Amino acid sequence: MRGTFLWRHRVVLTSGFLLLLALHLLSAGVTPGARAEKPSLALMWMLKPVQTVEANIADDTTGFLHDYFDLVNVRQENVELREQVATLEGQRTRLAELEVENRHLSDLLELRDALATRAVAARVIGADTTELSRTLILSEGSRGGLRRDLPVISTAGVVGKLIAVAPNASRVLLINDHNSGLDAFDQRSRARGIVAGLFNGALTMKYVDRTEDVKPGDAVVTSGMDGIFPRGLLVGQVTRVSQEGPGLFLNVDIQPAANFQKLEQVLILTQQPTEIAPNPKG
Amino acid sequence: MRLLALYAIATLIALALETTIPYWLPIGMLAPNLVLILAVDLGMKHHGALGAMMAFAMGYAIDSFSGTHLGLNAFMLTLIYLIAYALSRYLISTSTAIGVVVVFIGAILTGLANSIGSAGLDVGPGTAGLMPRLALQGAISALFTPLVFAIMGWGKRMVGLRTRSVRE
Repeated sequence: MRGTFLWRHRVVLTSGFLLLLALHLLSAGVTPGARAEKPSLALMWMLKPVQTVEANIADDTTGFLHDYFDLVNVRQENVELREQVATLEGQRTRLAELEVENRHLSDLLELRDALATRAVAARVIGADTTELSRTLILSEGSRGGLRRDLPVISTAGVVGKLIAVAPNASRVLLINDHNSGLDAFDQRSRARGIVAGLFNGALTMKYVDRTEDVKPGDAVVTSGMDGIFPRGLLVGQVTRVSQEGPGLFLNVDIQPAANFQKLEQVLILTQQPTEIAPNPKG
Repeated sequence: MRLLALYAIATLIALALETTIPYWLPIGMLAPNLVLILAVDLGMKHHGALGAMMAFAMGYAIDSFSGTHLGLNAFMLTLIYLIAYALSRYLISTSTAIGVVVVFIGAILTGLANSIGSAGLDVGPGTAGLMPRLALQGAISALFTPLVFAIMGWGKRMVGLRTRSVRE
């Protein structure tokens, strides 16, 4: 065997075969339940306990760290005071954190009741491995009744839809990912369009006719026409409207209602409600 | 088998870190691509069909937690494994400096591939400043390379594997 052409070039030949296999996976795409997706779901299942532990550790420290990064310029001035406060009010902080978590959960419960539908609450335990795609990992999976394409919302507004569901975890594609798109309309003018993510994580509303009366400050809500998101969920608020060039459509920038960087708990709608009466709290 | 187990454990740890820490800390593109560094280590020091398969599996594992295109990172990591293999074979060296360069270039290539996979060739308003961000992530990954190589070298010694180039 050694010395033969196949043996001498085994690395290049194996790599070549694997590159072709990867291209095949890419070109074929992955349909729900496909064999190619199963190892991927098994990996999600395996890593979930580790991610949960890390998320728990991060929960304890994240407040401090976010403060650090946000206030890096003034931190020096306040460091002594912060230390004092941290020492004296350590217990109070922990209680406050519990209170916040309780409030999030009760908000979710209220929202679920308002939606008059079946929904599963889940915790965010991780994010995409690259900054270029925008997905989150949730603590619930098919054992909790979840399946692909279910809508995910928070108390603030629409979050995204499920794209992969393992038995004990799932991945949600955020609405500000470049591959995401949902049918929505301007609540005031009723102008319809497709809300899609931009490469930098911003949101835009595409295909809004330039004759439509869309103004900054308008609320954008789901139309229910895409078959995934129920009608009437808050997506965000129009921040800028422009008409550049001779195109047929307006450029509409949207500020998402949900803060994707600070999401801790979300709600996955497992049953399509007929229509949402009130908008989620924003 | 020991090699497989060592890299499997290292990949799982790297993935667990990559999926959680950037979400809980506002570091964005400053997070190093740890799995890519492992693939380069593998390409430079383990020349065999098993190494290529492991690099593919590492890429597939990233695909499980990233983006919407299954196979994209599997393709890129196999390619980068092949580049690292070719460089170390033809330069007859497993030097960390070469690894640093391959990781830097590999991180940029992987980022570009992910960008194209995500946005296609559509140059929209969101793509401005992409190259500097990718270069920054490449530099951060390159900075972490000696540390990861050293940890893997230590791991290999612990399980009784050779730390230099291994031809199965």
